[in-house]
Amino acid sequence: MLASLLLDTVHPILKSGADSVHMHMPWWLAGFLIDGVYLAVAWVIAVMLPPMAIFFPMFTLLEDFGYLPRVAFNLDSLFNKSGAHGKQALTMSMGFGCNAAGVVATRIIDSPRERLIAIITNNFSLCNGRWPTQILIATIFIGAVVPDSLSSFASLLAVIGVAVLGLAFMFGVSWALSKTVLKGEVSTFNLELPPYRPPRFWKTIYTSLIDRTVIVLWRAIVFAAPAGAVIWLISNVHMGDETIAAWLINGMDGFGFLLGLNGVILLAYIVAIPANEIVIPTILMLTVMVTGIGGGAGAGVMFELDSINATGDILRAGGWTLLTAINLMLFSLLHNPCSTTIYTIYKETNSVKWTVVASIMPVILGFVVTFLVAQIWRLFL
Amino acid sequence: MENYSPLLALSIFFIVVALLYVLFRPTKGWFWIIRKAFESSEKVIIEDVLKQLYHFETSNNRVDMKTLVQILDFKNTDIVEAVKKMTINDLIYSESDVLKLTEEGRDYALRIVRVHRLWERYLADKTGIHKKEWHDRAESMEHRLSHDEADELAEHLGHPKFDPHGDPIPTKTGKMASVHGVELPLLPVGSIGKITHIEDEPEVIYKQILAEHIYMGSLLKVIENNSTRIVFESEGEEFKLAPIVAANLTVALIEKEVVLEDNITRLSSLEENETAKIIGISKENRGDSRRRLLDLGFVKGSNVSIDLLNPLGNPNAYLIKGTSIALRKDQASKILIKKD
Repeated sequence: MLASLLLDTVHPILKSGADSVHMHMPWWLAGFLIDGVYLAVAWVIAVMLPPMAIFFPMFTLLEDFGYLPRVAFNLDSLFNKSGAHGKQALTMSMGFGCNAAGVVATRIIDSPRERLIAIITNNFSLCNGRWPTQILIATIFIGAVVPDSLSSFASLLAVIGVAVLGLAFMFGVSWALSKTVLKGEVSTFNLELPPYRPPRFWKTIYTSLIDRTVIVLWRAIVFAAPAGAVIWLISNVHMGDETIAAWLINGMDGFGFLLGLNGVILLAYIVAIPANEIVIPTILMLTVMVTGIGGGAGAGVMFELDSINATGDILRAGGWTLLTAINLMLFSLLHNPCSTTIYTIYKETNSVKWTVVASIMPVILGFVVTFLVAQIWRLFL
Repeated sequence: MENYSPLLALSIFFIVVALLYVLFRPTKGWFWIIRKAFESSEKVIIEDVLKQLYHFETSNNRVDMKTLVQILDFKNTDIVEAVKKMTINDLIYSESDVLKLTEEGRDYALRIVRVHRLWERYLADKTGIHKKEWHDRAESMEHRLSHDEADELAEHLGHPKFDPHGDPIPTKTGKMASVHGVELPLLPVGSIGKITHIEDEPEVIYKQILAEHIYMGSLLKVIENNSTRIVFESEGEEFKLAPIVAANLTVALIEKEVVLEDNITRLSSLEENETAKIIGISKENRGDSRRRLLDLGFVKGSNVSIDLLNPLGNPNAYLIKGTSIALRKDQASKILIKKD
């Protein structure tokens, strides 16, 4: 509802307003501001706000109720085995909503070492911006390989599989970190279990909306706006006879092929560092632009189609196979955190070193995993 | 791209990974070995020789060139070279075969020992580095810290008298407190004592002691002592050690007629539906973690009972001063209680 309002109603109005006789806005300014900046911001709000407005208050209610510390209590011995803190179970679940919020939530961990582990591995929780990508790609490609009656079940299983894989990476990386680089940090553990009590409902809703939803959303908007501008610019500014986007895509195609992906996906992930939500619209826009097939709304204008089949057709025309889809799902799990999260990590750790580690390490993991999957796939299938 | 084949790509990948592994694997990687070779300068060899001589001297053993070369992990020619230089500089002299420290050499050795033990103290109190690693880290740090830095460190730590294993730390002027007590196997059955020192060399034996959860400062009572094993009781638990392992524990006999209170145990042994009073926190629990426990109310005289048992066995929640606090087993084992 929010999406259709912002993307399908307001956007055309703004566009036609800019074209109207009174405004005389040159095409490039209208494109830059409305197709670029506005659309990116609108997209982020449309994808992010509804789940966050539901997820965060629910989570805060559980917290207030006294339930969450008991989750940490029960799961601690699992986390202890990988050198982490039981409370990481909570920050990790928070990460399923938004990694930036998850990173902020690590403040509840009082031991410096375990807190750093929780911050660095938070990115392995699939966040709000990445769930739709997973679901969409799984529906189009994974669902297509099994009989129709099973297709929704298969794609559901694939998405859950990716999320569980994320958990496995979270435990594995926690373990590796605590055995190597974080060996010397002080580690303490104690956990207070507050008594169960009825939550203060309205106060909780209010604070969770203000503290979490609005702050996270605001940061996302601040970072999404320039991303929209960049996306519009690279697909409209020409260098020689090609757009910048086309140059970049051609340049990265070789590397993308090695990873079982392609240049379009890599470029989309670079320009979408500020917000995972705009990855799919950017991929669609770039694919249409590069392949020159019909559809879409013009260079630099991100779009998504109502029909899943039509989206699948565009992607297949862009050269996508089942391997591309699987690796995209893996890469969506294992890539750098969005810039909001990176900035939050910097604010929380106050250390450039750990921010760099937390940002680079998942991408390297992503490269290695997708690379291995691609080679083995091509060898045996 | 023309020559691409998945097999080729995979093999290049594995070659790169293998190369990185050979270069950077922990401690044995070439990168670390080369870096260590650069660090093991003459200074390091001289200081290690001095330290060995000092340790042999305090345990009334004699060293000749042969044993020295066997013990130290350097190239033989380097050691011979270093010993020659030290003799010229009046740090050591030799009586027939036996190498001995001069007054000056002993001072130098004491300074190295001081830095080593101070650094172990620092690692124990101010960092979260595991006990197993203290020795190795101090071993490399002792060559790097200058005299002034050592003094600064000592001040920062509050001029500690003992290192975390119970070895005395020499003062600036080379004075040392003495360790009270005798090796555990020498104690007769029935004697009561307090662990004052846990020797951290050789590593194999030290690791065994750590695995048994034997802590500094614990009171113990010898139950059985023969040539095959030594059994003692401490903090409500029974420990069995081989004599060679037990010899690494130094125990100070308690002369006064103190009766070892039978029902002092560790918090980790508290069962459901039992209540207890807290006697204190073991010395093993240091730094931030100790302070935090005290803040939470784990102080002498508080009543404690189990609030919640964990389905996975660890951690358990303890009810103390009306709040429920979850502690892991290894923390709870460092809190001493007396069951009601």
